[in-house]
Amino acid sequence: MLEAKDLTKKYGDFTALNTLNLSIRAGDIFCLLGANGAGKSTTINLFLNFIEPSSGKAFVNGLDVEKNPQKTKQWLSYIPENLQLYQNMTGLENLRFFCGLQGGNQDKEELEALLIQSGLQKDFVLKRVSSYSKGMRQKVGIALARARGAKILLLDEPTSGLDPKASNEFSELLLEMKEQKVATLMATHDLFRAKDTGTHIGIMKEGVLVDKMESGQVSFHDLEQKYLRHMHT
Amino acid sequence: MKRQVFLIAGKELKGMARQNSLKILFVIIIMLLGFALYAGYIAYKQQRIMVDTAQKERRAEWLDQGNKHPHIAAHYGTYVFKPKTLLSLFDFGLDTYTGTSIYLEAHYPHEFMFRPVQGYGNMIRFGELSAALVLQLLLPLLIIFITFQTFTKEKETGTLKLLVSQGVSIRSIYLGKVLAYTLIVFTIMVPFFTGLYIVGVIEKTSSVISNMGLRILLLFSVYIGYLWAFTNFSVWISLKSSSARNALLTLLIFWITTGIIIPKTSANLGETLHPLPSTKTYKESIQHDIENGMSPNDTKEKRMARLKKDYLQEYGVDSLNQLPLNFGGIQMQEGEEYANKVYDFHDAALYEKFELQNRAGSLMGFIAPYIAVRNLSMAFAATDWYSFNDFQEKTNTYRRHLIRTMNNDMAKNSRYGEFYEYKAGRNLWETISDFKYLTPKVTMIFKYYWMELASLSLWVLIMFILIPSSSKTN
Repeated sequence: MLEAKDLTKKYGDFTALNTLNLSIRAGDIFCLLGANGAGKSTTINLFLNFIEPSSGKAFVNGLDVEKNPQKTKQWLSYIPENLQLYQNMTGLENLRFFCGLQGGNQDKEELEALLIQSGLQKDFVLKRVSSYSKGMRQKVGIALARARGAKILLLDEPTSGLDPKASNEFSELLLEMKEQKVATLMATHDLFRAKDTGTHIGIMKEGVLVDKMESGQVSFHDLEQKYLRHMHT
Repeated sequence: MKRQVFLIAGKELKGMARQNSLKILFVIIIMLLGFALYAGYIAYKQQRIMVDTAQKERRAEWLDQGNKHPHIAAHYGTYVFKPKTLLSLFDFGLDTYTGTSIYLEAHYPHEFMFRPVQGYGNMIRFGELSAALVLQLLLPLLIIFITFQTFTKEKETGTLKLLVSQGVSIRSIYLGKVLAYTLIVFTIMVPFFTGLYIVGVIEKTSSVISNMGLRILLLFSVYIGYLWAFTNFSVWISLKSSSARNALLTLLIFWITTGIIIPKTSANLGETLHPLPSTKTYKESIQHDIENGMSPNDTKEKRMARLKKDYLQEYGVDSLNQLPLNFGGIQMQEGEEYANKVYDFHDAALYEKFELQNRAGSLMGFIAPYIAVRNLSMAFAATDWYSFNDFQEKTNTYRRHLIRTMNNDMAKNSRYGEFYEYKAGRNLWETISDFKYLTPKVTMIFKYYWMELASLSLWVLIMFILIPSSSKTN
């Protein structure tokens, strides 16, 4: 569903991403680990066509995102580190607005149910987003992905700054979506969350994917050791 | 894409409706416009009553002046008043500076009197509050305040990324925002112009201003074009700015430069490039030419000698006493005609300078759309320089007709050498119809203001070009 072929992004002499090759299938949760500036967000931005690659290609459902920027986005849902919705609108209004942009015409009850299923407390559905915590906003993001029937999730450090409970709830939502064959690419610093939630883990350093593994084949201790080794070499 | 544009416009409107500061600003503008319309209407009604009353009184004075020699009647003269057009309640234009009445008598075209600006002192430098001023300068300021962070805030908070990640192009977002703000402008303008039209229908001012309905429609179109271009520009600046602060600063600099600095500079530039003679020099030159003639062959003595010779030859007589008409009247009229010629010559030179000054100002409309809309607004309201000039020409024609009628009567009905012996009466005074004025047709505007129309059209065209054309989402 997601594929990177020799994907490279350079800013002058600085290489933010160097010949990334990656393939993520339906039902996979691919967690990208790495320090700040390792190239995780750049990878996500390239799949979203927010930036253009210097060379190589990014594919979504077999389509080159550069050539099909609109079409590829119909399968994608993006949740950044700090999802900012429209503060002066309620969670429900935000959801209805963003769904509408993609042609969705779910009724109010349907969207309300989706928000609640995504973990938002019922009391907050009709409250303005300005009163939401970060965790609540991320849940609206998940509800949006569900409402749109997104086949691919691009998550840029979505649990960063969330308390353990909210973080755990978020992981559970991802696992639910995995069951629905949603492919997920998640950039994160959280090794525990990556091991616990991901089906695959990649470690990035200075724009290069230096290691790649299936999470079932590695213990948390081994993952931590590998990660630290890569960071110190 | 259409659906996305409408959804974004709806979201913008909802967001604005929930911001108290914007609601207050909106209400202030509506109140200012309402107040300007009301104050303009009161001033219009008062002045109309004043002008109508004064015109009737002066007419009665003319008719009831009693029996007297026609030339004395020509010096007795009369006053005509510039009727206030209904649209002047919307845009005062130059009415404040041009004066409202003029005394018409033989030999001298007098200057206009009772210019409202004379009573205002220094306050006039800041401009009067007219509805046109609200639309030309204050509404753009409101547009700046509601649009400057429309994109920068979305960029700063990350909602822009979220929008784009939904497959929405920057073009759709841009168009949605412009649509929302244009709707706000419409919400302000439509009731206002409808009100103006209703007042026009109630007041039935078609006897003073021509093509009222069309003028209001054109005024509306010009303002919509101007404000749409301004809205578009503000949104574009927000799109291109890295921060809300930069966007606000850029837009305020643009507003001050194009709304205040350039208009003032262009007026000064026009005066510097095409200086006008002083009133003293202008009057002295006219006086000199009337007395000494515009060429050596045109001295008063030579002209009168030629006139005498022509008349004696034409009637085949030897002396002026033998003429079947009073040569004194012929002489008076010839002097009048020559003075008219001198005035026309000097006025043409003066108006040419005005014209050049106006052109210099019009050219500045290409860099400051405010100038273009200000000039067009005055023109459609018939309060501009050309409309005033037209009024002045018509009063001149009326004065010349009045004097000619008096002189012809003197020539026809009195004897050469007699003056106080002959007296005309009401029958003659009644042959001079009351002065009625109708503004020029609206088509005049297209002739004189093509540069303003071109510059405003160019601004609108540029704004169309600035709309992000790429369907790319990066």
